[in-house]
Amino acid sequence: MTEAALAANEVALRAGAAPISNEVSGGEIVGLAGLDGHGQERFLKILAGLETAASGAVSFGESPVHGFYDAVSKGIAYLGRDRRATGIFSSLSILDNFAISTVWHDVRSGLISRRARRQRYESFKERLSVVAPDPRLSITTLSGGNQQKILLARLMAMEPQVYLLNDPTRGVDVATRHVLYGVFRELAAAGTSIVILSTEIEEILLLCDRVLVFREDTVAAEIAGAEMTNERVISVMFGEPQ
Amino acid sequence: MRASDSSLATLWQRTSFGGVLLLVLLIANIFLNPPRFVFTNWGTLIGLAAPLIGAAIASTPAILAGRGGLDLSVGPLMGFVNAIVIKVLFLDNGIASPFVIVPVALITGLVVGCINGFLAAVLRIQPIVATLGTFLVLTGVTLTILPAPLGPAPDWLKSLAGPLSIVPLAAIFLIWAAVKRLPIFGQLMAVGSDDRAAFTAGVPVTQVRFFAYAFGGMLSGIAGLMLTSLIGSADPNIGPTFTLTAIAAVALGGVSLAGGRGSITGATTGALVIFLLQSVLTTFNVSTHLLQLANGAILVTAVVLTALQDRLQRGGAR
Repeated sequence: MTEAALAANEVALRAGAAPISNEVSGGEIVGLAGLDGHGQERFLKILAGLETAASGAVSFGESPVHGFYDAVSKGIAYLGRDRRATGIFSSLSILDNFAISTVWHDVRSGLISRRARRQRYESFKERLSVVAPDPRLSITTLSGGNQQKILLARLMAMEPQVYLLNDPTRGVDVATRHVLYGVFRELAAAGTSIVILSTEIEEILLLCDRVLVFREDTVAAEIAGAEMTNERVISVMFGEPQ
Repeated sequence: MRASDSSLATLWQRTSFGGVLLLVLLIANIFLNPPRFVFTNWGTLIGLAAPLIGAAIASTPAILAGRGGLDLSVGPLMGFVNAIVIKVLFLDNGIASPFVIVPVALITGLVVGCINGFLAAVLRIQPIVATLGTFLVLTGVTLTILPAPLGPAPDWLKSLAGPLSIVPLAAIFLIWAAVKRLPIFGQLMAVGSDDRAAFTAGVPVTQVRFFAYAFGGMLSGIAGLMLTSLIGSADPNIGPTFTLTAIAAVALGGVSLAGGRGSITGATTGALVIFLLQSVLTTFNVSTHLLQLANGAILVTAVVLTALQDRLQRGGAR
């Protein structure tokens, strides 16, 4: 299996900010850290094609990525931060919330098969240990953690090659967190790349192979291996001289 | 037990207060006007209600698409189809075959629907303004083609009034049932529910909205044929009156004007409620001014109650 790499080429988050060049290859988990508003979220959204860089470009494998739909079609999936505002559809059922990004997968002889959808859902339900009694109920009947699992299942159903996760464990209980960590590791072990923005340093230390620490709209430091410690990351976040 | 609970809840959600009103009004009608509402006469009654049901269903897709989605042109489009079918096809060119008339009606509706979709979804003009534009243009064009009422209609079309109006109604329900099982329908409900979330889920929002207007246009074509059957002639002035009544019916039927929630059952219920309400008031020989007033009052009450029900449900869910 050859894994294409998602690359940022001289991406400047704003005019005048030092450009960022980096690459995420298959099987890797890369963390994005920084104090809120120091550019890490914007960087993630630029990678996803949701925002455009002041200069520079994003490419996947050999080809450039133009905008969000192009990114999706190339197998780059983005999980948003605000679950309630831009994630779930509160008036739709759990099942439809799960399937919305992959409606075509349930088509049997031209029409949607509820059974096929149900089967697909059940396999993800098992894998993510979703606690939901009846998938026909509204998604708002689920706890925050289970809603997040459904959103992740929605993404996984697209079988993307790159996951861009914007603070995926925000407002999620501890048990669910560990389920999610397990799934992220499995995905990486299977060769997909994961970029994960997190507001919790412990989470990044636990999951990631390396971390990009943002300060003033650029990467202040890239830390990997034994140097990845709480103190080190925090000192870069606060801009202390190294 | 859980399943029956939730299916009852679904039925309630789908029809909301419209369902209760429908029942009450039906009983009132049967009680007040027995000869008109004997069971054997129900075919005729359905025939009378059919164009409004068609118009209400045709109004639904655009509203489901959300973000102010609305199709004001449904009524004039029905009138336009009526004029094309009777004046242009039947009277001017002697074409009476259903195999020409039905496709022409459907395609006319579809083309106008596509124009609405282009204006509202692609150019992103406010739907109410965009479709007000097509409303006025179609009204004008219809009056140009057909300055005054004219008849008659082909026999087969006239025979679809009364009990046989079930046929076009059934066609609409079947088409809807099929479309409901297309991938795009799920996307339509998602876009109506929350278009930003739909965008981040990779749903092609613009195409889906365009589809909603095109589909509504096509359904308006069928509704136009139903109108033609009922009046058995061409009349340039009747069509436009359907627009607002249809939207009132849809709102009564619990289709959320914010988008993303509602069903064909709801739209039909709403249309029947308005029809039955008019029927009750007519038995009392109430003047048409009061009829309008009653329509409006019921509509406002129903929409307020639906909003309250929404709030209660949402409060319960969190």
